[in-house]
Amino acid sequence: MKDIGRNKMMLLMVLPATLWFIFFSYLPMAGMVIAFKEYRYSRDGFLASILESKWVGLQNFKFLFSTNDAYIITRNTVLYNAVFIVLGLALAVLMAIVLSEIVNKRLAKLYQTGMFLPYFLSWVIVGYFAFSFLSVDRGMVNQIFAWLGFDPVSWYTNPAYWPVIIVVVFLWKSVGYNSVVYLAAIMGIDKSLYEAAMIDGANKWQQIRNITIPMLTPLMTILTLLAIGKIFYADFGLFYQVPRDSGSLYPVTNVIDTYVYRGLKTTGEIGMSTAAGLYQSFIGFILVITSNAVVRRFNKDNALF
Amino acid sequence: MNTTKKRWLPLLAAIMLVSLVLSACGSKESGSGAEGTAEKPVELIWYTIGTPQKDVNAVMEEVSKYTAEKIGVTVKMTMVDWGDYAQKLQVATASGEPIDMMFTSSWAFDYVQNARKGAFMEIDELLPKYGQGIVDALDPAFLEGSKVDGHNYGIPANKELPAQEVWRFNKQLLDKYKLGTEGIYSLDSLEPLLKTIKENEPDVYPLAVDKNQAPYVPYDYVIEKLPMAVSLKDSGLKVVNVLETPEMKAALNTMHKYYKAGYIPTEAASLDSLTDVQATGKWFMDRATSQPFADNLWSASYGYPVVSTPASEALIYNWSVMGSMQAISANSKYPEKAMEFLNLLNTDPVLRNMVDSGIEGTHYEMVGDNVMKNLDNSKNYDMPTFSLGNLFITHLNETDPADKWEGFKTFNDAGVEAPLLGFNFDTSKVTTEIAAVQNVKEEFWAALMTGTVDPEEYLTRANDKFKAAGLDKIIEEAQRQIDEWKASK
Repeated sequence: MKDIGRNKMMLLMVLPATLWFIFFSYLPMAGMVIAFKEYRYSRDGFLASILESKWVGLQNFKFLFSTNDAYIITRNTVLYNAVFIVLGLALAVLMAIVLSEIVNKRLAKLYQTGMFLPYFLSWVIVGYFAFSFLSVDRGMVNQIFAWLGFDPVSWYTNPAYWPVIIVVVFLWKSVGYNSVVYLAAIMGIDKSLYEAAMIDGANKWQQIRNITIPMLTPLMTILTLLAIGKIFYADFGLFYQVPRDSGSLYPVTNVIDTYVYRGLKTTGEIGMSTAAGLYQSFIGFILVITSNAVVRRFNKDNALF
Repeated sequence: MNTTKKRWLPLLAAIMLVSLVLSACGSKESGSGAEGTAEKPVELIWYTIGTPQKDVNAVMEEVSKYTAEKIGVTVKMTMVDWGDYAQKLQVATASGEPIDMMFTSSWAFDYVQNARKGAFMEIDELLPKYGQGIVDALDPAFLEGSKVDGHNYGIPANKELPAQEVWRFNKQLLDKYKLGTEGIYSLDSLEPLLKTIKENEPDVYPLAVDKNQAPYVPYDYVIEKLPMAVSLKDSGLKVVNVLETPEMKAALNTMHKYYKAGYIPTEAASLDSLTDVQATGKWFMDRATSQPFADNLWSASYGYPVVSTPASEALIYNWSVMGSMQAISANSKYPEKAMEFLNLLNTDPVLRNMVDSGIEGTHYEMVGDNVMKNLDNSKNYDMPTFSLGNLFITHLNETDPADKWEGFKTFNDAGVEAPLLGFNFDTSKVTTEIAAVQNVKEEFWAALMTGTVDPEEYLTRANDKFKAAGLDKIIEEAQRQIDEWKASK
């Protein structure tokens, strides 16, 4: 009670977030039971519908594993996300360091804003950007190809190029945002550290390697751990809008989220989509716990909990 | 201690306020009593499909005045845009949002599936009691064809009953090259026309096809756009994989030939719609589902003349019967009143035309007996006529022939029943397989149907994957249900 009194300003500050989590994360968690039910509507409202629906055990989970697509979608989801985590981290940190080293602050801000902007675009719009480059008849890339004397490429039917396209588009959209986070952390590093290093005769590269990167490590670890928790969630817009839902590309663009959407958009079985969501969060939960345990073994301070 | 308590008060008050507001959102209980009279009307909440219109509330106010007088109800209409309707209503019904009446159909917010899930109220008893006018007005095939497991859950709009596929032509181009449409019927018969256009009009799509289209084959699909189907000629009702039929193979080969010749848009397999080229007129022909005098409608909406010629027989399918329906929500508080309203909507020309065209003098004016003309304001209240009940009591437009509805009746009477009319597949035993097959379909369907890929190679691949996903099990289950249904007829 005394603690509450002492920290009330702090507690008041977390109150909105706490309420948000209670209403939008903890309360809805009870809805997990739908994953084990054949959801049917009752005329007495939502709760009655949940209670009165029939239990079906693990029936709802079966469609996720019933075909050999299960392997493809899991592979695509995990591999793409792994690449995103690694490249995203490296590029974002690199960009943050480069930005922080630019002497002309006005220019630095300009670059920063320019890189930040794509983050705010919806995937639908990004999808059309990509289309204006990759369209077979009118795309910029094919027109350049024609000018150079190459044959036009049918981008939306040829899966070979898409792992690269997807990764490039993802990085283009997200690196700006993440680098701002790291840039903020760099700004927070005590300047006297650099001054001391300079007096000792350290050059720029040595300063970056021995001061900036170690100072950023805790933040990198935390953000990476959080990203690993989401490794089973694919960005739906990226994998659905950008390849224009083209069937021939499914071997390299079908991920868990698009699979669930395509499988259930006509039947609209809520039980099955809940099951898919539960499966994703369950695996994500296990992955966070494990990777956190691994981090703890090496460096206790960097672990999340 | 005392001061701490006091300081906590505002916070506590804030929390209470939040919870009060939240709970107030949830429960809007209205007391019962002598409700549903002209003095104390009840409010019906009505969800309909279509781009939300600016003047909906103003028109509904007028409608409410009229209906309060007649049957003691007022109406609040919520319009949900075409692309969002199915998903929004799925969520609204699943979460038990207050709804009294809603639009449902075979193509948006699926009627059969949602009836089975319990979204709609069964109306077997309400209909004769409060909706006798509907029973009298409708062709019996509508109510019979829209039964789910032997019960009615929705009221089909009285409109064209059969579906007929037609080839539509951009008449400007037809005239420019003096092309005739005689002898055009099959997919193969189009070639010389397409060739002329391709050679002379490089900017025009000779055969406009988007990813939602499939070549017409004489089969009745068990579920639209999934490969289980029954041949129109097969009275034994044997369910087959339509991709393995000779008709489909031939059609796909032709489509691929056309694609290679450049008659079909190169991006067809990922083209969402043809709205763009329809607006610019840069298309020569396409295929569409028709109704009597549809050419007038199309020409009016595109702003240039469109003509059509049949591409199939006129058949009554499940999906054409259920093309536009109104259902009463399972959680409606006033189902009797909702049925009375729907009855009035389908039988009373005053109400029906008000809902459809808006307020006389503001949105439209009468220029003759039963003939109306849209005023400028009609753009603020432009409703999809077919989705709002009985078509046969709506006013005619100036371009319509006087015997328009007679034409519809003749068309309806001439329609032939498709083999699966009245059969509804219960998917509950094969939901897992359907979800998997659906994914395979999404992977191959558009590419094959638009002719983008070579069927020689892709058909085998698709069929292998369909089999692995459990298509045979679905076909078996469908066959079992169809046999049972046939025996019970």
